Amino acid sequence: MNHMRVATWLVAAFLVAACGSSGGGGGGTNSYSGKTIKLGAVLSITGAGGVYGPQSRDGAMLAVKQINASGGVNGAKIELTVEDDASDKAQSAQKAQTLIQSNQVMAVLGPTLSNSAVAVHPLAESLKTPILAVSTTGIHIVPDCKFPETAACKFVFRDSLGEQTAIPDNIKAYSDDAHPKTGVLLVAQDDKFSSDGGKIVQQTVATHNIQLLQTIPFSKNDADLAPYVTQAVRLKPDVIFITSLGGIPAKIMSAARNQGWQGQFLGGNGFNTATVSKQAGAAGKGARSASAWYIGNDFASNKDFVDAYKKEYGKDPDQFAAQGFTGVQILADAAKRANLTFSDLAGDREKLRGAMESVNIQTPLGPFQFTSDHDVKQTVWIIQMDGQGGFTLVKKIDAS
Amino acid sequence: MDFFIQLFSDPIGFWNSHTLLISQIGINGIVATSMFLVLYSGQLSLAAPGFMAIGAYTSVLMELYWHTPVVLNVAVAVILAGIVGLLVGLPVLRLRGVFLAIATIGFVEALRLGVILNVPITGEGLGLQHEADPLGGVPIILVSLVMVVFVVWRLTKGRLGSAWSAIRQDEIAALSQGIHVARYKMIAFILSALIASYAGALEAHLNFFVDPGDSQYGVTRAVQILTFAVLGGTGFVIGPVVGALIVTLLPYIFEGAGDYINIIAGIFLIAVIIFRPQGIVGRGGLAIVRPAWWPRSRARAPSPG
Amino acid sequence: MDQQILNAIFIGSIYALFAVGYTLVFGILDILNLAHSAVFMLGAALTYSLVVNHGQPFWIAALLGIAASALMGLVIEHVCLRPLRRRHAPPIAALISTIGLALVIVAAVEQGKSGSLFSWLWVDGANSVAFPAGTVPNPTWHIGDLTLEASKVLIIPISIALMLILGYVMRFTQVGRGLRAVAENPRAARLMGLDVDRMISLTLVISSALGGLAGILFGLALGDISPYIGRDNVEVRGLAVIVLGGMGSIPGAVIGGYLLGLIEILALVTFGSNARGGVAFAALFLMLVLRPQGLFGTRLRERI
Repeated sequence: MNHMRVATWLVAAFLVAACGSSGGGGGGTNSYSGKTIKLGAVLSITGAGGVYGPQSRDGAMLAVKQINASGGVNGAKIELTVEDDASDKAQSAQKAQTLIQSNQVMAVLGPTLSNSAVAVHPLAESLKTPILAVSTTGIHIVPDCKFPETAACKFVFRDSLGEQTAIPDNIKAYSDDAHPKTGVLLVAQDDKFSSDGGKIVQQTVATHNIQLLQTIPFSKNDADLAPYVTQAVRLKPDVIFITSLGGIPAKIMSAARNQGWQGQFLGGNGFNTATVSKQAGAAGKGARSASAWYIGNDFASNKDFVDAYKKEYGKDPDQFAAQGFTGVQILADAAKRANLTFSDLAGDREKLRGAMESVNIQTPLGPFQFTSDHDVKQTVWIIQMDGQGGFTLVKKIDAS
Repeated sequence: MDFFIQLFSDPIGFWNSHTLLISQIGINGIVATSMFLVLYSGQLSLAAPGFMAIGAYTSVLMELYWHTPVVLNVAVAVILAGIVGLLVGLPVLRLRGVFLAIATIGFVEALRLGVILNVPITGEGLGLQHEADPLGGVPIILVSLVMVVFVVWRLTKGRLGSAWSAIRQDEIAALSQGIHVARYKMIAFILSALIASYAGALEAHLNFFVDPGDSQYGVTRAVQILTFAVLGGTGFVIGPVVGALIVTLLPYIFEGAGDYINIIAGIFLIAVIIFRPQGIVGRGGLAIVRPAWWPRSRARAPSPG
Repeated sequence: MDQQILNAIFIGSIYALFAVGYTLVFGILDILNLAHSAVFMLGAALTYSLVVNHGQPFWIAALLGIAASALMGLVIEHVCLRPLRRRHAPPIAALISTIGLALVIVAAVEQGKSGSLFSWLWVDGANSVAFPAGTVPNPTWHIGDLTLEASKVLIIPISIALMLILGYVMRFTQVGRGLRAVAENPRAARLMGLDVDRMISLTLVISSALGGLAGILFGLALGDISPYIGRDNVEVRGLAVIVLGGMGSIPGAVIGGYLLGLIEILALVTFGSNARGGVAFAALFLMLVLRPQGLFGTRLRERI
């Protein structure tokens, strides 16, 4: 069976449906043929976030390629420019400004790290450009991108399942299974993603009668984690919570196992790539986390995605690739319905923003919609590392 | 090359869409000038990022907790940095050359890792978020840059400048001429602290955040600022500013090279220090300190290139 | 004995081994070689690459890694130092040119990705990797409450042996005497027929080989290799160590290394894990202010 054909049918079906619904009134034929929809992406291709950024990019580029190959968006081609922010906040903001004001893109994807989003999202908001986060999962991303200001940011969206949902779901799932009594939290305090995750852990454990014996903060740049792990292991907790990203989770897990600790590792999004599972190896077996996506998930739109990705890049996609792919799908769908003029950039960005709010499509993440806070509404997958570089599914939690 | 094409063909548009970049150049220029001051007086101090941090955190914290006007916040931040500069300078300025450099690095990292990362009010590892106007700061920053450079330039023309030059060339000789070396060094150190903290405060208001990372207020930043001064040259006040301009623009100038930018920057640095140690702008060169066995008379010979 | 004390000793050995290279160059040349931390990283990165990307057994890879680091010492001398000596530049210039070289080395490894210019050296870009389990036999022994990993335990005798050998060479061999003569007074040494340039090259070679070895051991025992391990972990701590021990003193570097490891763990245990980072610098600062020559250094020649 030709998967491209299936994809083409799906896109064609969308187009027909979209054309059908925009029928009579204002927009008329809504044909964009010959036009270019310029999109930008600020991702961490290098630096600490480089473990995640390239996959987001690959997923996004694949979506662009597929959409362009099957007629584009109502005939318009998508042009995606990807900039690397080297996992640095300041560069992230500068590149975003260039994309928005120099390249005059209609919308931006990214940035990769929650740390950088703090700088980039408020900027996009001031410049009234829609920005769609495809991997940031920290708190205060949406809707309060300018925290501590509480005003909702109208132009900021995300398709990446937040830790606020993921971590409590994960803890609940394990707690229901095993009823742990005590835990220790290891958190990289100079990293927003990790620190946010830590806060969420602290807020959630009480609900499940888990006593948090100690919170052990450390610096993300510190390579020698043994003393921190020793402190944790010494307390003999049932669970060790690890909310960091990059190479840190694997090191903590190896060190803890080496020091003789046998308990359960519970983590956040930082666990969810093959790289981390491979690095952790046998030490990580059974380590659990909640994921926005699971390679074996049975949504039809996912199977097509996985096959296309494997064909294009020769390797399996991961959660970040899926979210990047979905990001472009969301923008394309919104663009289709937004009645873009291609001559009034500010107006088009506002229309695009409005159209995004009503997105409702099939993606590799499953059926996808935004909440009223521009946050994610989707299925959650509880996964665990299999000790050999992959993951197995523990449980599926449907969107509430 | 697109970068330059836009710069020359559509300067207004260029200006509007690169405000963040222009602002950053301005700030880098101001802090480079603070570096000029210490190098001009013969001190290899790498303390600038520490004072920038004091400037940034103090002004933002005041804004978040006391809601005082920006001007007051910045003023207080700068004064505080001056006081810290005095306190740090007292024990540290009697160290020579490399030892001073190491001590100032120690100060910077002790401040960053020891204080900022551990005191809850600073937001610790995450830094602080606050209201900012990233796009409106350019006029203030550029005007500040011009003023700072002008003031420092006037200083170098006066008595302070002559004393500093004398100290830089030969501390012992200067002492024997009756120059109160310790006092003049301290003045330069404190002034550079004031300037650096001002730059830090401005930078904090440029961005929505204050972040204690290494590339903001750590050794990496110190090296970057040193690079501004070396590349630009410390013979003229404007030298380090030119250095700052070039280094900040490097990723844009070499857009084709993209990834290899840092390699090029490093090679540049080595090449400049070997073949043109007086920097791009010029004269004098770095005559800071040398061990007893390096022949002094040779050092007075006309510089190469 | 407490596990944390063990942790302190292990990391202290790495600090000590690294600092010996630093202090050697400073003692003999009066120069702070800031490319040393880059060589540390390079040794680790190259060894990792040889094992994982080129399929070499670890022992061969490590030897090659050390050799490459030693070679890097020659590069430092010929590219950064000799041209400046010829031009009678002040030592700050050497400081800056070694900073430049460090930038180049780190950036080159950072750019090591499949398809790039540097993919023979490294393909993991800016990521952090570790030697795959089983690269070297690494049994873990449990004695009472303590956990001892072979790779960590081995660092101690290796470091100490090397430092003893170096000490012996410096004191009792002709080469060592030559090096000390250069440290004392290069002009006199040259007048007496010593090839000063060659002595300096030798210094850099030994120092860099030690630095690279420290990096390899670090990568192996701590399971972390990335372009940034030098900058983040040892670059500034190395400075703290040589200041504590006395700049130019080899025994000082050794004792300083272990001392720093212990101070860090002490701070961690007493004040919380946050305190670990800042303590090194507080110690550094205090030492410079109170006793700049460190524990074992000679009194500074010039003081104002």
